Amino acid sequence: MPYNIIVLIKVIPDLEQIKPNPTTGEIVTDRTPLRLETLSENAIEAAVQLKEKYGGKVFGLIFGKPESAPMLKKAFAMGVDDGIVITGYKGNNPVYTAEVLCGKIKGMQYDLIIAGNQSADTYTGLLPGIISGKLGINLLGNALTIALEERKIRVKSTLEKKIQNLNATLPAVVSVTQETNQPRLPPVMQIMAAGRKQIVTEAAQPQTMTGTLQISNKAPRSERKRQLYEKPEEGIAAVVRAIKEEIR
Amino acid sequence: MKTLIFSDDGEIAAQISSYLKEGFENTIVTLKGEEGKCRRSGARSMFIFTGQPTASGLSLALKKLKDQNSADLVFIGSTAIGRDTAGLLAGSGGFKPLSEVTSVQFSNGKATTTRYLYGGKSVLTEESDSNLFVVAPGISEASLTENETEITEISLDQSPVTVEGEDQKSTGGADIEKAKVIVSIGRGLGKPDGLKLVEQLASAVKGEIAGSRPVCLDYHWLSEDRQVGLSGKKVRPRLYIALGISGQIQHIAGMRGSRTVVAINKDKSAPIFEECDYGLIGDLYTIVPKLVTALTS
Ligand SMILES: Cc1cc2nc3c(=O)[nH]c(=O)nc-3n(C[C@H](O)[C@H](O)[C@H](O)COP(=O)(O)OP(=O)(O)OC[C@H]3O[C@@H](n4cnc5c(N)ncnc54)[C@H](O)[C@@H]3O)c2cc1C
Ligand SMILES: Nc1ncnc2c1ncn2[C@@H]1O[C@H](COP(=O)(O)O)[C@@H](O)[C@H]1O
Repeated sequence: MPYNIIVLIKVIPDLEQIKPNPTTGEIVTDRTPLRLETLSENAIEAAVQLKEKYGGKVFGLIFGKPESAPMLKKAFAMGVDDGIVITGYKGNNPVYTAEVLCGKIKGMQYDLIIAGNQSADTYTGLLPGIISGKLGINLLGNALTIALEERKIRVKSTLEKKIQNLNATLPAVVSVTQETNQPRLPPVMQIMAAGRKQIVTEAAQPQTMTGTLQISNKAPRSERKRQLYEKPEEGIAAVVRAIKEEIR
Repeated sequence: MKTLIFSDDGEIAAQISSYLKEGFENTIVTLKGEEGKCRRSGARSMFIFTGQPTASGLSLALKKLKDQNSADLVFIGSTAIGRDTAGLLAGSGGFKPLSEVTSVQFSNGKATTTRYLYGGKSVLTEESDSNLFVVAPGISEASLTENETEITEISLDQSPVTVEGEDQKSTGGADIEKAKVIVSIGRGLGKPDGLKLVEQLASAVKGEIAGSRPVCLDYHWLSEDRQVGLSGKKVRPRLYIALGISGQIQHIAGMRGSRTVVAINKDKSAPIFEECDYGLIGDLYTIVPKLVTALTS
């Protein structure tokens, strides 16, 4: 049977391009180019695969900024049918993010919500649980595989030491891991088609965010020696000395 | 202050309890079979959950325990099921969460915490009135007391999500978090056959073998419990030798505490060279045999 799937998509600064301010060490990401968050790509792939298998529609939900809009197009190219960018994202605050996303989700028809289990930039891993708690629906976390049958869902959930077979009824929130799948690279035709799609944006509700006060956000100081040898044979003696010192 | 500490990993629960020694009255909770260290971590009282753990079952049971013990603060170890449990507690009301904390201090009713951000590129220091802390593994050494805390068993409440069987993951039986010397491999090893060479180096330096995420999770050249990094183990050996590891931030976050870092990589611009004390630029298959010879002669 066909399912309505909502996929939660985060847009993040490209981590590789974040550079601390050389004098203060403070990290500012205002100008860093944006990209799809790694686990959100796995979530999109999982949602699109379920649609391909069972039929239905995938709706993408981004809580971001106006600049996030091109990333929704990328999601469309990967097979997401429809979506919206909610603007007004102010930074890492999972409770507020969940409040804004749930405000939107509550007015929608859905069977399944898919998210990443831990986002690549802020790494809270809390959002799937908070959303599930707020909506009062089942949570099946860290899914390696997802199977649906009528109103039943089965998931292989990967924990540190074991894999659990979880069962529940829909609607449900499922989080996926990096090992769940390999996100597809959409073909050029789909990218072009997605490029022509209209992007709908709407402002976040509620607008006020309460929470934490940032005191500082600095690159951890590295006091490494950084003795590099381009001709490795010249460095072996120094390295052996250092190794012997440490394993004495 | 009264705390409730939970982790499905007894080691992490004991670490948190040891970290919160001064000025706290700790109740520690873990799963049956994980109680070993928790019993001797200086907690006032202790519970173990029996039955199949799910995040929903755990969050219901912990909420009850928090109310019964009138705990002010809840600490949950950051594991897959721990984060889900914390999320559910925060979502169903009454809890203000903070994730992945690596230190926490309380004064004037406020918590000052630190955590890594941007995959480990920065350290964020925050002040908040949070009451639910998801704690990154390794916040302290689990220091053990002579006295054992009395244990009460609690059967996990019915959960709307049910567990129908489980498979254990294979483990290498290694405890890389305690290792004094680590030889760590990355995708640059190229083939599992290369492990033979790595073993020679590991035996020459009496080290444990660990690896980057792709090596442990994607290729299974090593077992998952040997993964170093943000989503793996945080290690602090005296010596960390990185072979064919590019040094992405998520990897660095797991080995930053090492005392001396040696890196071998054929790419001069690999970020690992920013985070090493000694860097040899070249093919590991030519350099490592020379190192082994020099170390054993
Ligand atoms: C949410 C999230 C969490 C993550 N958590 C972790 C984590 O916990 N741990 C982790 O490690 N990663 C983690 N990652 C993945 C991380 O971003 C990198 O993808 C990973 O660390 C790269 O592994 P690598 O260095 O082995 O491989 P690569 O990046 O492919 O590097 C291979 C290196 O080997 C070198 N090389 C190749 N051949 C040779 C040779 N013959 N001799 C010498 N050098 C050679 C290359 O120059 C290259 O630098 C995470 C990512 C995300 C998004
Ligand atoms: N601002 C956001 N908008 C949409 N989805 C999000 C947002 N933040 C997080 N998510 C989803 O929640 C997952 C886990 O994020 P986190 O809990 O922040 O680690 C991500 O992989 C996304 O699927």
